[in-house]
Amino acid sequence: MAGHEKPDLPLHRSLFRMIASPTIWSVHFLFVYVTSALWCEKGWGEPAALSSVLTASTVVAEVLILLCAWSLWRQWDYSDDQDYIHDQSTDEHRREFLGHAGFMLACLSFVAVIFSTMPAWFAGTCL
Amino acid sequence: MTDATQSVPPLDSRRRDLEKHEVRVAEGVYPPTEEMLTRPIDPAEAKAQADRLRKVWDDPDGWRYWSAVNNSEVGVWYSMTAFAFMLIAGVLALVMRMQLAVPDNDLISADRFNQFFTMHGSAMMFLFAVPMFEAISVLLLPAFLGARDMPFPRLSAYGYWSFLIGGIFVMGSLLFDAGPTGGWFMYPPLTTIDEGIGPDIWLLGLSFIEVASIAAAVELIVGTIKCRPPGMRINLMPLYAWYVLVVGAMILFAFPPLIAGDFLFELQRSFDWPFFDPARGGDPLLWQHLFWIFGHPEVYIIFLPSIAVAAMIVPAAAQRPMLGYNWIVLSAVGTGFLSFGLWVHHMFTTGLPTISLGFFSAASEAVVIPTGVQLFAFVATLLAGRVKMILPMLWIAGALAIFTAGGLTGVMVALAPFDWQAHDSYFVVAHLHYTLFGGMVFPLIGGIYFFYPFIRKQKMSDRLGRISFWLTFVGFNICFLPMHLTGLKGMPRRVYTYPGDVGWDTLNMISTAGSLVVASGILVFAWDLVRPKGKLMEERNPWNAGTLMWAHDIPDQYWGVRSIPYVTSRNPLWDQPGIVERMDQGGYYLPDAQEGLRETIVTSAIDARPQLVARVTGPAWCTVWAAIFTGGAFIFPTFHWYPPAIVSAIGAVACVVWWLWTSTALIPENPMKDVGMGLRLPTYVSGPSAPGWWGVFITMLGDMTAFASLVFGVFFYWTVHPEFPPVGSDHANGVWIAVSAILYTVSWSATRAARGLNRRGAVPIAQILLGGGALAALAGAAAMMLGVLGLDPSSHVYPAVMWALAVWTVAHTGVGVVMQLYCLAGTMFGKVLPEYDAPVWNTMLFWHFMLITALVSSAVIGVIPRMM
Repeated sequence: MAGHEKPDLPLHRSLFRMIASPTIWSVHFLFVYVTSALWCEKGWGEPAALSSVLTASTVVAEVLILLCAWSLWRQWDYSDDQDYIHDQSTDEHRREFLGHAGFMLACLSFVAVIFSTMPAWFAGTCL
Repeated sequence: MTDATQSVPPLDSRRRDLEKHEVRVAEGVYPPTEEMLTRPIDPAEAKAQADRLRKVWDDPDGWRYWSAVNNSEVGVWYSMTAFAFMLIAGVLALVMRMQLAVPDNDLISADRFNQFFTMHGSAMMFLFAVPMFEAISVLLLPAFLGARDMPFPRLSAYGYWSFLIGGIFVMGSLLFDAGPTGGWFMYPPLTTIDEGIGPDIWLLGLSFIEVASIAAAVELIVGTIKCRPPGMRINLMPLYAWYVLVVGAMILFAFPPLIAGDFLFELQRSFDWPFFDPARGGDPLLWQHLFWIFGHPEVYIIFLPSIAVAAMIVPAAAQRPMLGYNWIVLSAVGTGFLSFGLWVHHMFTTGLPTISLGFFSAASEAVVIPTGVQLFAFVATLLAGRVKMILPMLWIAGALAIFTAGGLTGVMVALAPFDWQAHDSYFVVAHLHYTLFGGMVFPLIGGIYFFYPFIRKQKMSDRLGRISFWLTFVGFNICFLPMHLTGLKGMPRRVYTYPGDVGWDTLNMISTAGSLVVASGILVFAWDLVRPKGKLMEERNPWNAGTLMWAHDIPDQYWGVRSIPYVTSRNPLWDQPGIVERMDQGGYYLPDAQEGLRETIVTSAIDARPQLVARVTGPAWCTVWAAIFTGGAFIFPTFHWYPPAIVSAIGAVACVVWWLWTSTALIPENPMKDVGMGLRLPTYVSGPSAPGWWGVFITMLGDMTAFASLVFGVFFYWTVHPEFPPVGSDHANGVWIAVSAILYTVSWSATRAARGLNRRGAVPIAQILLGGGALAALAGAAAMMLGVLGLDPSSHVYPAVMWALAVWTVAHTGVGVVMQLYCLAGTMFGKVLPEYDAPVWNTMLFWHFMLITALVSSAVIGVIPRMM
């Protein structure tokens, strides 16, 4: 089926879907920051255990981001028509644009989540 | 109705998911057919239309000129005022450089030096950088979008007058030797124990300006998402509009934490509630958190609009569309998000755990990725195009060089161990000036050279521009490059003088010499900006750019655009042949103003499908009065003159209510209007299609952020104290708090029911519910105050923060009640009818947020402390 014949659903018009993965990054970032602040202030346990908790949260965040990325990749529909310039005033171009931009944001967020976990692996101390 | 609508079957332009609440939706043909876009136009009729349009949009004459609200006037006042504040702040910097030219200098006293560096930073940030972005956007955005004006012209005017009053108040303090001295980030406890009025001037004056900034952000976001021309879907927006959207959203989430911080700070200064006093359980670090949650995104709030200007100049210089539009959108949105994860890198030396510092260090490095992507996209566009080295491009090239250098030192200071060495030294001064000059001043001046032909219909001098560029560029590097070394050699920032022969003398002298060269460059530019330039330009599009802006009229016409085009390209002037001629002839939408009203087209947020003919407000004095009274409400408390402050606050509310009642959501003479090309649009909509609803929604998102910051404060104290609340402390009265939560829920439910009943025509019941809802809200507020009345807020931070939450909630209740009563009065005096009910929708939207505020406050005051 050609791109312009594919159904255009309300979710394909959602800006919030596009920013879902950086939002996951924000929530994850706050989670790791708040958890380690509390862990250190309240003396909840060993830094090694903290590191495991943070790594687990990272796995959850990354899975969610991958799910976003997969559905946005399908919305972009690159493998169908190899279209990466979306400069026409049509439903198809708008849909693929939001998918494309959202997919790239998901990639950025994937990397950024790893960035924000690395301190737990290399500097996991409350000192 | 035109022939076209009769011959073509009506198109189902209703999008069920978006317009399910609408009484009326667009009818007729959309998108327009090729035949409609090329149909000949009767010149006589076009002239009559143009005359009517000109009359409606014309500025008032004589002294009434100052009541104008057109974006073209307000934008110019706004940017010139911000520029004037920038020059004043620059003079402060020059005096400081004179003082530091030689060791042991006594040109100015230590106290005056403190005032100068505080006001230099504060003015550059709050009176120049952020307002300048808003000013330029108010001025340019409608032109980029082919709109007649911004959606809320009077709000822009109100924002401008507030900014002017607040700015003069804050800067004026220097003349009375009463300026703040605590540095632009006002750290307590130094500033909470300061006995002068400097900190109060800073807190209240700048809070006032922050309110104006948020107003402008609301205006710009709604303008970007609702005022695009038909056909300009979100994938076709000029990149400038993308940046405006991102920066507007950032302002919404960055400024409110500072407002919350100011609120706490001023409560401590005025009433001795100990939020930042460790002796009574407070913590100065809370201020640092709230300040920098604002302060770091602020850097990007300044930087992104300037990059947006660059994103407009680069395609014009390269004469080709921007390469990697998607990549730039990615980087703008990505930077917007990541910039909120950096704030603690200003607090690396406060003794937080290493692991916490690590997170912020990592995020600071991660933000380099999206920032780099947009610079690479620019470079790629330039490589792929045939570059004309136009003068604005020269400034952009200088900006890229300087900003990149600032970015590299940024990567260095983002590493905590390096920062521990360089913290509070001149290295940081050098770094921040490289990022801000490269990221803001150079692109801005380049942008002014680029957009001046649009703004004044004349060109600035190419020769003076080049002289100014080289003076500024060379002078900047002479001034700030040595500061890296001065800092590494140990000179701390913010010292009013230093001893000789410790290796800083020569470097400081070089910096001072450089600062004079920068100043001469800026002066050349300022002269070029204001000097008389003779006759108007001949050509409309001097840079041969592709955006709608360059379809402007010479000489200027206040109508914005003669007719609102149907857009199918990112660069309509390049890709849609004949579009400018057709716009001029009135061949597109809304070419006329038969009713003598100012109108523009409102379209849907994503696909820009026409939804509404919005009647926008015209010239008025009530905006000026509202700003004066708001100013009084903020300025009198500086001197502890509370009665006049309360009178001013009441006056401000009265002005705003009068302004809303007399000029917004007016009942139209005709529910539908023919806008041309076979399309008929409603003249009144309620709910999510209406710009006003979006204005409330976006304002309340910001408000919610401020509230969340207060709640964050409670949990912050809980985190840092071993026992919080302290053992044996009194709690709020749980019964009163529970009653309060129930009453707020009742008020919310009544308002919700009133909306539906009013729409169905059961007006009397709706009136009873609105009146009853207002009473329930007042009772809820009273119950909340009774709940905390037994606590002494000056004894310890725990009761103080409970009081702060209660005061916040009660103050919002006041707004909610005014809105309910406004709707009640509306239904009684014919301003609100069953099918014309926008005020009720907006009130309901406010009340959704009000209910969240009330319930969260009740839980945090009444329940959570008992569990902690």
